[in-house]
Amino acid sequence: MLTTPPHLYIRRPSPTTAEFTVTTRPPLTLPLRLALTSLTVLRLLVAIITLFTLYIRFHALLLPPSSSFPSDLSPQQHHLYLWSLTTHHLERARLSPAGQFISTQITTNLPEWTHLALAMAVLYLSLTIPLHTTESLLVLRGLGIQTSTTTGNLLGGICWPWGMGGKEAKPATTRFIPTEKIRDVLINEAFRGFEVRYYLIVVVEGEEEVVVVFPRLLPRRKIVEAVWRGVRGCLHEAPMEGGGWYNGRDGHKN
Amino acid sequence: MAPTYNIAMVSDFFFPQPGGVESHIYQLSSKLMDRGHKVIIITHAYDGRTGVRYLTNGLKVYHVPFLVIYRSTTFPTVFSFFPMFRNIVLRERIDIVHGHASLSNLCHEAILHARTMGLRTVFTDHSLFGFADAASILTNKLLKFSLSDVDHVICVSHTCKENTVLRASLDPLMVSVIPNAVVAENFKPPDASELSSNSFGQNPPPARPLGPHDTITIVVISRLFYNKGTDLLTAAIPRILENHPNTRFIIAGSGPKAIDLEQMIEQNVLQDRVEMLGSIRHEEVRDVMVRGHIYLHPSLTEAFGTVIVEAASCGLYVVCTQVGGIPEVLPSHMTVFAKPEEDDLVAATGKAIAALRANKVRTELFHEQVKSMYSWTNVALRTERVYNGISGAISEAEFYGYDASNPATWSATRGRSGVQSFALIDRLKRYYGCGIWAGKLFCLCVIVDYLIFLLLELWFPRDKIDICPDWPRKPRNERRESGVR
Repeated sequence: MLTTPPHLYIRRPSPTTAEFTVTTRPPLTLPLRLALTSLTVLRLLVAIITLFTLYIRFHALLLPPSSSFPSDLSPQQHHLYLWSLTTHHLERARLSPAGQFISTQITTNLPEWTHLALAMAVLYLSLTIPLHTTESLLVLRGLGIQTSTTTGNLLGGICWPWGMGGKEAKPATTRFIPTEKIRDVLINEAFRGFEVRYYLIVVVEGEEEVVVVFPRLLPRRKIVEAVWRGVRGCLHEAPMEGGGWYNGRDGHKN
Repeated sequence: MAPTYNIAMVSDFFFPQPGGVESHIYQLSSKLMDRGHKVIIITHAYDGRTGVRYLTNGLKVYHVPFLVIYRSTTFPTVFSFFPMFRNIVLRERIDIVHGHASLSNLCHEAILHARTMGLRTVFTDHSLFGFADAASILTNKLLKFSLSDVDHVICVSHTCKENTVLRASLDPLMVSVIPNAVVAENFKPPDASELSSNSFGQNPPPARPLGPHDTITIVVISRLFYNKGTDLLTAAIPRILENHPNTRFIIAGSGPKAIDLEQMIEQNVLQDRVEMLGSIRHEEVRDVMVRGHIYLHPSLTEAFGTVIVEAASCGLYVVCTQVGGIPEVLPSHMTVFAKPEEDDLVAATGKAIAALRANKVRTELFHEQVKSMYSWTNVALRTERVYNGISGAISEAEFYGYDASNPATWSATRGRSGVQSFALIDRLKRYYGCGIWAGKLFCLCVIVDYLIFLLLELWFPRDKIDICPDWPRKPRNERRESGVR
């Protein structure tokens, strides 16, 4: 319901520009917006509760036992004040009936290390599972083409040092290829897992590896073909006549 | 108008590796494509040759990534090929799966999976096997397994058919014999310009008389392995050269027995009369052949022996051992047969030399004769008839003969043509007869295969698989179809 199979949007703001977007996100209707918002809130809530259980378990390491809420502080100690405020509220939550309940449940059922590992896993999953993936290809006649990949998770903007499962998913997922570097744009087939997939590639001058367009979604043949035709029509002056499917190398005009 | 089919040729052996099976698959596929069928080839990945490739005539080749263990055969994991195979078959909309070569594991797996998926299957056997040693017994058992449930089998010679029928316990009616062919244009005898200039455009070509003191060159082109009879050759060469002064040998090919040949040359001081060329490429075979007058083929076992057809096409008189399918290959006026033993081989070669010296053999006519006997177009036509037979396009009586369509001679292995049942229980019946233990084991494999098939239908639904656009098909030429039995 929240995601769809990859589908294509084409935007042509001017005759010399075209943007092809392949996304798993359905069109944003009001119910979908509400659902997405509540899902985000839910995920944040899960993350907060997980953090809270961690606090309950390990609060003794964080705080000296005799901390109390200071009543008068100068503005210079403002950051100290914030810290104390937070700990105060956390302590209050911990000592509340709900906190006590969680505390007894967890400490009796889970060993420390299991708890820590579990909490980390839950945090990671709740914050980073991508909900939607959007990949786009922007074609500007005379300038070049730009590919980009966006995954819609909660911490999408943060640079994860270890990447997110794959070379193509590094935070900098935008790539611009100038026209004079483009040798060809074509559709290829390759083995991937247990299947043979179609994919669109850009052959770049002076590079060993070709650039795969839409590397994460790898949309199906219909979309790939539509994009291929569009790219050729936009990149080279005249739209291809007949548009033979396999004559990828013939219509090289630049 | 006969229907056209989408055919998948499956074998472990394909280009870039050179060889007889490989070129057979290629030639057959091209000719089938000329007849309007769609053909793809599924093989395993070779070094630097992976993924999906097109050959220049539009032949599509899937080089499936697999582990290669021995002489370019893949590791026999019975089920691992299934998901990939299913994907390829569905996206190419294949109707008929045609496997080649009994040593190819990929081919046997493909036949099993294809039957599970409800496709027609054909198997072509290219080689002869023994029955005695352990390796043969194992291979034969595996062959029996995959051929228990195949729609039709093609053998390259009648000897090969007999061998295959015995090894796999087949009904002889479901085995056809379709010989190999040669591209006669690639094996032309030396033409006028290469010999002399005064014989322009004569038909038939002029004879090439041999003087009594002209040197006769004997050519041997074979891989130097035990089964190719290199030991026999090593023993025979000194005696032949001793008996016939104006003769010499050219030997092309390499292999483990090359060292024996070299030793023989050293011992008998024959360096000036025996020339060893080492391994040569297939394109160079003709150039080597036309340097000689006699082709000597000492092989100990051979299913067909394409090379002797090539030699005869080049206008060479052929001396060969009478083993396997060789006697079926060429008419008697082109060959001298010998028993596979030293004395007889020497005597046969002597006979051939004498016949050539007496100018009794019209070797210059061989090319046209071979050309009219062997063509790939004919092979493709006959293979197409097999496809028609198994898919029910021609009637059972026409395909198997009128006796066979009599219900009294109905055979479970063959089933009724065109309707060989895909039902699991019928398939299990066919496998169960393979042996006391083997039958049960094979049944188990088939059941597991079927379960995997069901799982794959859930896991990778058919409508999620993209259909390939077809390479533009050639129009069918119906006129050439006449004149074929």
